[in-house]
Amino acid sequence: MISLAGRDILHGWGKFVLTGVGLGLLIGVTLSMAGVYRGMIDDAQALLDNSGADLWVVQKDTLGPYAEPSSLNQDTERPIRAMAGVDRAAGVTYLTMQIAHEGKDVRVMVVGAEVAEPGEPGQPPHLIAGRRIVQGHYEAVGDVKTGFAIDDEVTVRRNTYRIVGLTSRMVSSGGDPMLFLSLKDAQEAQFEKDADAIVRQRARNASSPLLNPPGNPAVAEAVNAAQASSTNVNAVLVTVVPGADAEEVAATIRRWQRVTVYTRAQMEEILIEKMIANSARQIGMFLVILAIVSAAIVAFIIYTMTIGKIREIAVLKLIGTCNRTIAGMILQQALGLGLIGFAVGKIAATFWAPFFPKYVLLLPADSLRGFFAVMAICALASLLAIHAALKVDPAEAIGG
Amino acid sequence: MAEGIRIDNLVKTYGQGDTAVHALRGVNMSVAKGEVVGLIGPSGSGKSTLLKCLGAVIEPTSGRMTIGDRVIYDDGWKVGDLRALRRDLIGFIFQAPYLIPFLDVTDNVALLPMLAGKPNAVARKEARDLLEALDVAHRAAAMPSQLSGGEQQRVAIARALVNRPPVILADEPTAPLDGVRALAVVDMLNTMARQFDTAIIIVTHDEKIIPTFRRLYNIRDGVTIEELQLEASPARRT
Ligand SMILES: Nc1ncnc2c1ncn2[C@@H]1O[C@H](COP(=O)(O)OP(=O)(O)O)[C@@H](O)[C@H]1O
Ligand SMILES: [Mg+2]
Repeated sequence: MISLAGRDILHGWGKFVLTGVGLGLLIGVTLSMAGVYRGMIDDAQALLDNSGADLWVVQKDTLGPYAEPSSLNQDTERPIRAMAGVDRAAGVTYLTMQIAHEGKDVRVMVVGAEVAEPGEPGQPPHLIAGRRIVQGHYEAVGDVKTGFAIDDEVTVRRNTYRIVGLTSRMVSSGGDPMLFLSLKDAQEAQFEKDADAIVRQRARNASSPLLNPPGNPAVAEAVNAAQASSTNVNAVLVTVVPGADAEEVAATIRRWQRVTVYTRAQMEEILIEKMIANSARQIGMFLVILAIVSAAIVAFIIYTMTIGKIREIAVLKLIGTCNRTIAGMILQQALGLGLIGFAVGKIAATFWAPFFPKYVLLLPADSLRGFFAVMAICALASLLAIHAALKVDPAEAIGG
Repeated sequence: MAEGIRIDNLVKTYGQGDTAVHALRGVNMSVAKGEVVGLIGPSGSGKSTLLKCLGAVIEPTSGRMTIGDRVIYDDGWKVGDLRALRRDLIGFIFQAPYLIPFLDVTDNVALLPMLAGKPNAVARKEARDLLEALDVAHRAAAMPSQLSGGEQQRVAIARALVNRPPVILADEPTAPLDGVRALAVVDMLNTMARQFDTAIIIVTHDEKIIPTFRRLYNIRDGVTIEELQLEASPARRT
């Protein structure tokens, strides 16, 4: 037996392929949407992986430092470092901001981490070019996605920094590339008040008899100095000694400090289930709509193709073709359309993924799921046409 | 001559009660193997209805029909699988050739033996042999849309013959053809009827071909009248 579906497709392949390509672009969009979602999860995981931390110590009762603001005194880290099971602890600051570079604004997440030996939590795990920050001031390491190059000068608030190193895949959970500064520089950028505010604060201090006792100008100066700088961090990143149970260490820190401590698993939950959840639902909605639109297109095309063959189907039935063969022909055509569509969609999604501003991660498992979804949708969409074909009366071939 | 197809007192009523249409009121007909008969009658007389009953496409209300020794209908009783019966025992030729546009000429003809379960190579061999007999072998690889009307009709005849059915039903097969070609088709059907020992019934309006039938059934108001034309020339060459 020959494949009636295959012959029919070959006979009118132009229309068929064109429809398949149209469907394919739609499938490509669908795969890209799934890729955007996977990219968001991957960004979040990269953020956690690259922070190098086992535990996140944040301001009490906050979901900091990524999902909510959190502020801790930098000195919190010292007692933590001494606790059993703690290997290293380092204060870090995170601040998402726009910075000017070559006339354009670049959105980055400024990360402040102590200038320390490599491997310290908060430091980028590896550089793809240049070197680490070695001076306490005016040096920065940027992610390649910022578009910065080694020796570029970038301005953060009032100071100018020189890019000394480049990283890759160092992004915030929102996909913004990171810019690493020394902790001091970052604190200055984050907590710095503008000149006007400093002047007013100083005037206020000067008029207060408590902060500016008569005959002792050194007190006011000390107060001014204390107010102008900050020693706060957003979180203390902690690594545990090999073999120690992160959960137990977290419990110890919670017992002795008025802070909230998250393990890696809890942090992942905050980022993925709390921050990304809405986006995921949004993307889910798109997927449902795209699936319905695809189904409608396939149903319409297959139905039109079938209606165009009503006479031939009546003849086929009259000369003894069984319903199963006719239904099989229509089903195979729908699946063929799905196959072309999926191939085109997969190629299109792979082709345009790099042009998306955010990371698009196309997982083979998602493609496989997509493939089965497309096939199921096509099979479902062919039911209408199959129904119409089975209703055809073989007597129609003879006429009145 | 051996009997090809026979109907006795066939009745077909569409609908029921007040709106019932008595399309066939007791038709008797018998066509021998190797014989070609004409079926004529004015519009609305029941020709198409009779053809559909003969072709096992619709079921008669009552009456009896046999093909060879096989009983197809007998007063309400019918064979189980009319579809397989059509495939194996009846060849159809339509007003228009109704070839499958996406199959080439060979496969249009070979489709029936393939549907009956024959291997593709065997089915195509049978198809090619018939195309040879019908003088269209040179178009075996063409698509139907590339053929002339006459060539298409010959391919349609090959398709009707390929499973060697004992009965062929032709519904105005010469309608789209001019006089010369119409007579050529009838001539060909006569040759095939003798060659393959097939009973052929041709429904027609066509004044040009009516004189060629030795035996005619004239149907009026659902009843057939048998007519003999002794001066007919079925094998007339054109
Ligand atoms: N499906 C049907 N339902 C009801 N009446 C029908 C149907 N088909 C045909 N008829 C009626 O049966 C009679 C015979 O029709 P038909 O067999 O088509 O005659 P012919 O082919 O000779 O013109 C007509 O009166 C027609 O209106
Ligand atoms: Mg009619």
